[in-house]
Amino acid sequence: MPITILPPKAFRDQPPRHSLNHDSDDVMSDATSDSEDSDSQPGGVSLDGGATIHPRKRHRSGAGAAASSTFTKRPKTNAAINSIPRSAIVTPGERITTDPQWMRGHGTYLSSASLGEQAITSSLAGIVTRTNKLLSVRPLRARYTPEVGDLVVGRIVEVQAKRWRVDVGSTQLAALPLSAINLPGGILRKRTETDELQIRTFFAEGDLVVAEVQQLFQDGGAVLHTRSLKYGKLRNGVFMAVSGTGGGGGVVRSRRQVWTLESANNGGPIDVILGVNGYVWISKHVEPVVPEEAKGQTGITNLEEVVSATMYSSQNDRIEPETMREIARIRGVVTALVENGLRVDEDMVTKGYNEAVELALVSADGPEDVYLGGERGEQLAAALTAV
Amino acid sequence: MPLDTSAYSLALLRVDGRRWNELRRIHAQIRTQAAADGSSYLEMGHTKVMCVVNGPSEPGPRRGATSGGGGGGGQSKNAEVAVNIVIAGFSSVDRKRRGRGDKHILELQSTISQALAASLHTHLFPHSTINISLHVLSQDGSLLAALINAATLACVDAGIPMTDYVAACTAGSTSTYAANDEGADPLLDMNHQEEQELPGLTVATLGDSDRVAVLVCESRVQVSRLEGMLAVGVDGCKQVREILDRVVREKGIKMIQEGTVERGVGLNDMELD
Repeated sequence: MPITILPPKAFRDQPPRHSLNHDSDDVMSDATSDSEDSDSQPGGVSLDGGATIHPRKRHRSGAGAAASSTFTKRPKTNAAINSIPRSAIVTPGERITTDPQWMRGHGTYLSSASLGEQAITSSLAGIVTRTNKLLSVRPLRARYTPEVGDLVVGRIVEVQAKRWRVDVGSTQLAALPLSAINLPGGILRKRTETDELQIRTFFAEGDLVVAEVQQLFQDGGAVLHTRSLKYGKLRNGVFMAVSGTGGGGGVVRSRRQVWTLESANNGGPIDVILGVNGYVWISKHVEPVVPEEAKGQTGITNLEEVVSATMYSSQNDRIEPETMREIARIRGVVTALVENGLRVDEDMVTKGYNEAVELALVSADGPEDVYLGGERGEQLAAALTAV
Repeated sequence: MPLDTSAYSLALLRVDGRRWNELRRIHAQIRTQAAADGSSYLEMGHTKVMCVVNGPSEPGPRRGATSGGGGGGGQSKNAEVAVNIVIAGFSSVDRKRRGRGDKHILELQSTISQALAASLHTHLFPHSTINISLHVLSQDGSLLAALINAATLACVDAGIPMTDYVAACTAGSTSTYAANDEGADPLLDMNHQEEQELPGLTVATLGDSDRVAVLVCESRVQVSRLEGMLAVGVDGCKQVREILDRVVREKGIKMIQEGTVERGVGLNDMELD
């Protein structure tokens, strides 16, 4: 392998950065003083043309042509980074405090600092939060951790004797017991062995469900339930997975996770379900069909009885092309929000959708244009952050 | 062709112009791939590796073939750390074909798996698996060290709790095993050419401490030189840790600036008394 020896740089105040303890007296103190640009000056070798991958862009091995354009020059100094102190975040192994009055929360562990003294140490890269005397570290990014009451969208991955196992993007699969779903024929119906035998007629592998976290196990596993008309099998729409709560950007816990959006361009009403776990479902809004003879009767149980007949159908209704287009547009909005590091909630999605409709009007293709990637996405994000 | 040790003794410079105690340029990035839970890209000189972490997640009913140690997944109380290494055909000068069952790769996988399983808090994730896949894009020595560093960074990015960074580097000695050279210097961070000619070892330590997490020596080395090599290697690991830490901090601060993560109580803002 040929070795190119470049002319050494002019000898500035540049001590050997990687000096060892037994080599010189000025040891690791250098590491902090010239840390800002040390990446770009290792021992006099000029690396001005050094290519770095732009971190915001997706970099996949398959995208060969795109990858070359994502190589940009690294700025020499980043003045903006200096404005936030290094102590704003903690990294794994960083000692937070040795004071015994504090209690350790999530993201920390106890390590022995010195003789008999215990130090609360961070186990994550993240920000320190404090609740009274409890110190915890919130990670910059992590998988979803379920909490009781969360509305989640999940996918059935396994069918067992009396329960389903649901992927909710957590560290473990969630469980959905047969006893926690609305059985067809009314909420008060008793669960029978027949139901157990035909468990696949309710949910089979690959089905998408919207559910609520009912209970948590000690080890972090979740139990879901769909005992409400709001919950159940999902159809007539499109699924997408973005990062969930606690993931830095993505879906955040908010007042409303489910709402119906009146779409533009004759798209009709569209349901948007933002699962707290970062799974999103966007579908055509379908009014529950109530047969004529049931209309006269009142009472919520009656309505549920009627509705639940179609509840476990996997058959899509007819979806007009206009509706499909608007669903695709909303999907584009959510993707653009995530790619630009903005939070995903009702407010942002609604505003973003209106903005996207405006953008489509000025584009050459008119309302048919649902593309919101790249520059269009950045434009959208800029318009949203400006408001 | 032996390494020109006579030239070394004259200028005390190695083949690539470094001194005995200098690391090569380390450039690293985290969060290079949006779709993964954690990802990183790391260059140590011309050794370039990419890492993607998925998980911890519970494998579905059909469990894929996993390798490595650190406790089994499934019903065990600890998460399993499954490491998969792919060495690209174009990564080295000779286009060597390596099958799936290549012993060399299997050893690398289990070394990394065990080292990380010791540092990661796997007990927090019962029944689950942490999938680490590493891709070697270019090889120029210190491959295991680069892989460990990249895997550590990706795990930090994935937000998996860990005791501390596992930082690794290599150390060697300036003269071969046979040469009875009294004045042999230890060398830090060996490149491919040095690895071919000289004895060397890979060492990884846990954070700032002197606790060695990995020590791999595949060449014959005189016992009297081992201590010096190890000391240099451990010191190098501390430098590597600083570099990795800086990468994570810069990314974290950038995320706070962009508003992706809200700012918490900084350690300075908090009266810890």
